[in-house]
Amino acid sequence: MYARIRSGVLFGARGHGVDVEVHVANGLPAFQIVGLPDTTVRESRDRVRAAIQSTGRKFPDVRVTVNLAPSEPRKSGSGLDVAIAVGVLVADGHIPPEAIAGLGFVGELGLDGSIRPVAGVAPIVGVLDDVDVVVPVGSEREAVVAASGRVRTVSHLVELIDTLGFDAPWPDHPPEHDAATLPSEPDLADVRGQRMPRLALELAAAGGHHLLFVGPPGSGKTMLASRLPGLLPSLERDAALDATMVHSAAGVALPPGGLVVRPPFRCPHHTSSQASIVGGGTHTLRPGEISIASGGVLFLDELPEFAPTVLDTLRQPLEAGVVHVARAAASTTLPARFQLVAAMNPCPCGSRGESPGACSCGADRAQRYVARVSGPLLDRFDLRVNVEPPEVEHIMSAEPGESTAVVAERVATARDLASFRQGCLNAFLPAPLLDDVAPLTTDARRDLRAELELGRLSGRGYHRVRRLARTVADVAGHDGAIGASHVSTALELRRALRPAQSVGRWLAA
Amino acid sequence: MVGGMTSASVARWTSDERIAVARLAGLDQMTTARLRSLLLGRRPGAAVGRVLDGAVEHEPVGRLLRRDPAVAHRWRAQLAERSAARIGAELADLDVRVLGPEDPEWPPPLLVDPDPPPALFVCGRLDTTVRRVAVVGTRNPTAGGLEIAARFGHGLASAGVAVVSGLALGIDGAAHRGALAAAEASLVAVVANGHDRPYPKRHAALWREVTRHGAVVSEWPPGTAPEAHRFPRRNRIIAAMSEAVIVVESRERGGSLLTARDAAERGVEVMAVPGAPGARAAAGTNKLVQDGAALVVDVDDVLTFLQLDHSGAGRLPADPRPAPSGDEMVVLGALRDGPTTVDRLAGRLGLDLGVAAMHLARLERSGWAFEVDGWFEALDEWARLLDSAGVGEQGTPATRGDAASITPERQVNSGVGSVLGAVGAHDVCS
Repeated sequence: MYARIRSGVLFGARGHGVDVEVHVANGLPAFQIVGLPDTTVRESRDRVRAAIQSTGRKFPDVRVTVNLAPSEPRKSGSGLDVAIAVGVLVADGHIPPEAIAGLGFVGELGLDGSIRPVAGVAPIVGVLDDVDVVVPVGSEREAVVAASGRVRTVSHLVELIDTLGFDAPWPDHPPEHDAATLPSEPDLADVRGQRMPRLALELAAAGGHHLLFVGPPGSGKTMLASRLPGLLPSLERDAALDATMVHSAAGVALPPGGLVVRPPFRCPHHTSSQASIVGGGTHTLRPGEISIASGGVLFLDELPEFAPTVLDTLRQPLEAGVVHVARAAASTTLPARFQLVAAMNPCPCGSRGESPGACSCGADRAQRYVARVSGPLLDRFDLRVNVEPPEVEHIMSAEPGESTAVVAERVATARDLASFRQGCLNAFLPAPLLDDVAPLTTDARRDLRAELELGRLSGRGYHRVRRLARTVADVAGHDGAIGASHVSTALELRRALRPAQSVGRWLAA
Repeated sequence: MVGGMTSASVARWTSDERIAVARLAGLDQMTTARLRSLLLGRRPGAAVGRVLDGAVEHEPVGRLLRRDPAVAHRWRAQLAERSAARIGAELADLDVRVLGPEDPEWPPPLLVDPDPPPALFVCGRLDTTVRRVAVVGTRNPTAGGLEIAARFGHGLASAGVAVVSGLALGIDGAAHRGALAAAEASLVAVVANGHDRPYPKRHAALWREVTRHGAVVSEWPPGTAPEAHRFPRRNRIIAAMSEAVIVVESRERGGSLLTARDAAERGVEVMAVPGAPGARAAAGTNKLVQDGAALVVDVDDVLTFLQLDHSGAGRLPADPRPAPSGDEMVVLGALRDGPTTVDRLAGRLGLDLGVAAMHLARLERSGWAFEVDGWFEALDEWARLLDSAGVGEQGTPATRGDAASITPERQVNSGVGSVLGAVGAHDVCS
């Protein structure tokens, strides 16, 4: 008459264990779900009833009450379907209670009794650490990554009844066919010429600097940006697990093997809503793009076309590495340690920077376009790089550029060097450490002083240039004091969108 | 039309009449043609009286009043508001004088112009004895274009020629700055708005400087906003006042092509500084050359046309910039061959990117190179003529929002064969 089944629901990127209690007792025929179900959970009544009937069993024509304990937080999602169905079958006597001991169930039911995958199996299974879990066949990959017990897969409610009710062996579903290798990431060798932007990519990968490409359409900004993840080292175990949880929770397909090992690359369209970028929605608090990109790269193409409010919400997560999403009913903290890469046209007509004087926008119009990206956000980009259209001889050249493999090796060496020296990437070097870690040669100091005296460099910019120059030197395999050419490279790679300087300024002296 | 006007108002305007003209010119929906017809054959005081009485039959004002009787009411109200005392005080405050065709200062070419302004509002001194040449061009120039404009401005001013321009951002401003660097500069700026608010704001200082060394001239009284339609109209005055119009840089549909067209219509010599084929900033000027404009590359070319002595024109004091060191000299030499980026320069000279960036940054800081949007250009000694506001305008924050609406460029109908030959048909301003 009574059954209790372990299951769980998703909340943000975390699972919450839920006990599904089912009580079947005399009374007018009814099927109630209590314990703060939302609409998706309440709808499972119809799926459960139909699924049980299509297995040939009779749905109890008495009063059926389902309670989702603990009853306080609101539950959402169709992943409780299987647990509710099993609970009804146990309470109605079709499955012996002892058969479900030590088992947890996650999955959605079809009306024909088939069991379908749901989003967030990994984090849900992760919290069901005291039981073996039964998951849909399609969710096995996610479940295996997070499960502490055994993972059983089922494809149909009939299989479950056979196994639990008649002691049949667990069905043996062959694991999904995995491609032997990860899908290949685009290779840097495809990029011809573009030495400065390539260097910028390498520095971004090596130092963790946020990167902004500015250039006319067709200059290859997107092509360049999509090659950044390939330069980054694979995620370490903890980071990979976190990334897998978020991917699972957001319903993003996992790579073969289940674990998200390669840094994610996310490129939301510029019409994306704030909730889709930072996470949220109503009470389900789905992870946003910044969380899915955590550990990898968030690429915002056509940066000024994003809603300004959306862009400005990125500032706090960029600093904190997490995003705290709160709604009236609930709040959750989601990871947001992403590297920001953005691309934009320099002006509305897009031709500014193709060659001197190519643009017909007029200074004011171009300025207004650029001003759509707020100063504080622009300030987060250590690398602001002008991308010119590639030269014809480079496009036609059969000679490929340096390959991702070669560059990635230099990146790995530079990252090792940085973490050995200061325990963090150069982008996160605290300012007080700079004199120890990134000392300047006399020449370099003179160049920086000249920039400061011309008023082109703020105090904050000064520190950023030094961090970036440290990465320039590291990538060049130079561990000593930072030279003038390193500083100049860093300054050059921050030049884009800087107001043009007067040529007459030195006259005043 | 012209003859009628000049013969009817034989005597010069009195100071009260000048104020009356300013009162009329500032009315709503006032145009050149309407003001001209109001003043045709009567003294300005009488014209004010006619407007107050609503008794204007003359075309085209009469037509306007018949079509829209509310205008007559509005004009009466505005004339009451624009009292003689108030307008007189405003003109005196701004040091703006109202010139009529009978005044000795009135530029003689305007007496025979097919579309003359009925009056000019002038701040500064308008010298009729001096020869005048206009230097105009794009508001979005290259550093090279700015240099050339400054060079022309300086060379012309040094030879005693008054430089006429529109005080716009870019080439116009650079020409005036160049002229101001000459020992005894004489300048004329023809603007499209009233004298009470210099436009563009970034050129407010230049505006003041021009009034000190010449005159800022407007067809409209103080209080007139810089509306888009006024700019092409202003261009005709630039063309009409000048012996020659030099277009330094212009896009395919640049506003300065309008000035060139106005000049061609009036038989004023059109000169164009050519640019590299394919250079977009010079597309308009190259087209002008194709269409028969005189090709000029140097001030001497202009001075020769004007039959002026050009020995020693445009000699500058010594260059205060520190001389570039050995390697920087090599980089500067490469820059002089044309604009380049760090990437291209490093590739061409076989330099490390960092070293190339270092040399370019040092050249830029010492004033030998100029960078816009990643492109570096070499600056010759003429760079010094451009002071900070002149070149810095490329990227400094916008000061006001209405610049975007002012796009005289769009009014050029480039579909009609020759730019110079395309007369009439696109007078969108009337």
